[in-house]
Amino acid sequence: MSESRRRVSRGSQEESAAHTNGVGGRSRSERAADTGDEDEGAGPSGIHEEDDDPARRREIRSQYRDLINSVQQNREDMLNPANNKLIDVLEEANKLFANVRQAREAALDAQLLVLATDLGREKASQLHAEGSSFDPSAFAEHLLSFMGLNRLEEEEDDQEGLDGYLPPDAWQKLSKRAEHCFKTAPSFHYLLGSFLAEPPPPRQRVERQRKAPSKEAKRMMPTQLKKMEESHQEATEKEVERILGCLRSYYADDPESPISYYEFVVDPASFSRTVENIFHTSFLIRDGLARIYLDSEKLPCIAPVEDGEIEPSGNATRHQCVISISPSTWKEIIEAFEIKQALIPTVQMLTQEG
Amino acid sequence: MSQRKRVAHAGSQNRVPRVSRQVVLDEDDDGDASYTQPTSSQVQKARENYTPVQVDRKVAEVVQFILIKDQKKIPIRRTDIVKHVIKEYKALYQDIMKRADRIFEQVFGLKLVEIDAKNHIYILINKLQPVPGEPISMCPGNPKTGLLFVILSVIFMKGGTVKENVVWNTLKKLRVDVGEKHEEFGDVKKVVTEEFVRQKYLEYLRIPHTEPLEHEFRWGQRAEKEVSKMKVLEFVGELHSQEPQSWTQQYREATSGESSQR
Repeated sequence: MSESRRRVSRGSQEESAAHTNGVGGRSRSERAADTGDEDEGAGPSGIHEEDDDPARRREIRSQYRDLINSVQQNREDMLNPANNKLIDVLEEANKLFANVRQAREAALDAQLLVLATDLGREKASQLHAEGSSFDPSAFAEHLLSFMGLNRLEEEEDDQEGLDGYLPPDAWQKLSKRAEHCFKTAPSFHYLLGSFLAEPPPPRQRVERQRKAPSKEAKRMMPTQLKKMEESHQEATEKEVERILGCLRSYYADDPESPISYYEFVVDPASFSRTVENIFHTSFLIRDGLARIYLDSEKLPCIAPVEDGEIEPSGNATRHQCVISISPSTWKEIIEAFEIKQALIPTVQMLTQEG
Repeated sequence: MSQRKRVAHAGSQNRVPRVSRQVVLDEDDDGDASYTQPTSSQVQKARENYTPVQVDRKVAEVVQFILIKDQKKIPIRRTDIVKHVIKEYKALYQDIMKRADRIFEQVFGLKLVEIDAKNHIYILINKLQPVPGEPISMCPGNPKTGLLFVILSVIFMKGGTVKENVVWNTLKKLRVDVGEKHEEFGDVKKVVTEEFVRQKYLEYLRIPHTEPLEHEFRWGQRAEKEVSKMKVLEFVGELHSQEPQSWTQQYREATSGESSQR
């Protein structure tokens, strides 16, 4: 298949180059000889051992790649009608192909062929054009002159290969002249400006959508918030009262022995319960319903304040302190005080008992 | 107005049930604005239903719609005209468009051209010849016209199809680098391969079986209607200080183009 395509491409190449040299005919006969060789080499018996030499195959592939690269890089050069570089490339490819035995190399050959055919087509189109040929590069140069390029002045940020100064209105100038080739309808503008050409309805729809949920949200928000606050406050108050009850009952059981603050507050089963207990107990202290004092061993003890003892004027004796507790200190406290059971029963335990 | 129409339909329902069913189906279509060729009886009925003043108003609305749509030079689709302007006057589409076209020609000196007969896409072109030596408009030239001219003329001079690299290389020589932001055109690649393509000035097509991907440019449908090949060739000749006739093939194509448009 690749074989027949190559012939075709050669044919077109010969047409375009026939008047410049006589290589075409000769190369075809060479080509025929090549194919003959090949038939002998890769007979029906399959691939010969020497054909499978990896080093040789690698070399062929590398040569093909070099050739493909050089074609791609010198594209413009090869298109130049003044030379026969395309023929040279094909000659070289033919030489390489003589040694090709396997599909992988043949695929590279086919790739090169595609490139060559493409170049051949372009070359042919150059020849086909009757009258003057058209060279985009020359066209660009003429355009630059028209646009007022000053070739003597240096461009400030001079780029490679581009010299001369192009005035800022260059494209305007070209446009003014080019307009004569266009039958463009002048576009229509309001003298005093206009609304955006886009119709407004979609914007309105967006607004309406936004408004509707915001109203509902406003209605919902206050009730929701109130509920949350209420329930939270209530829970805290209840808990504080419950703890006060506990404290009072322990105190009533044995008013003589001091209640250790840590033993009272710490729940050996739960760190978080411990923190909550500390939090709720702090309200008792703040409200003057309980007091904390240090015993003979300088350990904090807690006791309820009896109704008669409450001194509204005794604010001056109050102290504030911050208690910090971490899971590790919590564990240390449990070990040091040998706490086995929480003095403040959890709510669940209470309900179970009840 | 639509109430009048509905009343009329309701009245006809009792007498001609078959026609009324068709009308109902048509009204369902209003939403997606698909246009179906109305039957002659529908056209007749619609002509009776609307007063000349109402139809005049619709025509004026269509004219305004097209003029405004044309500001961006994006071709106008029939479905859009029907959906946004003509609406329930759909049965009179042909009448209304014919009259709108006449207004464009007689009042504005423009011409409404259908560039795609299958999908019914329209553009406006200028019917008036520019007066030699007179500026075409008082507005400063749109620099993009120059850019477009360069690309169109390269395509035309190269025989109608050109690989994108040829265009990019030519532009690069004119200090317009596709990879870089240009101070006048911005993202050049976007302007050329998206804006010009959407406006139907250019076609930007993938070349099959190319690795890496390659594209080629052709003239778009708008360019075919709006741009005079002969004038392009004349300007190119002027630039090269050559007679337009010296490019035989292009000259032949330009002359045949001129005569077919007349």
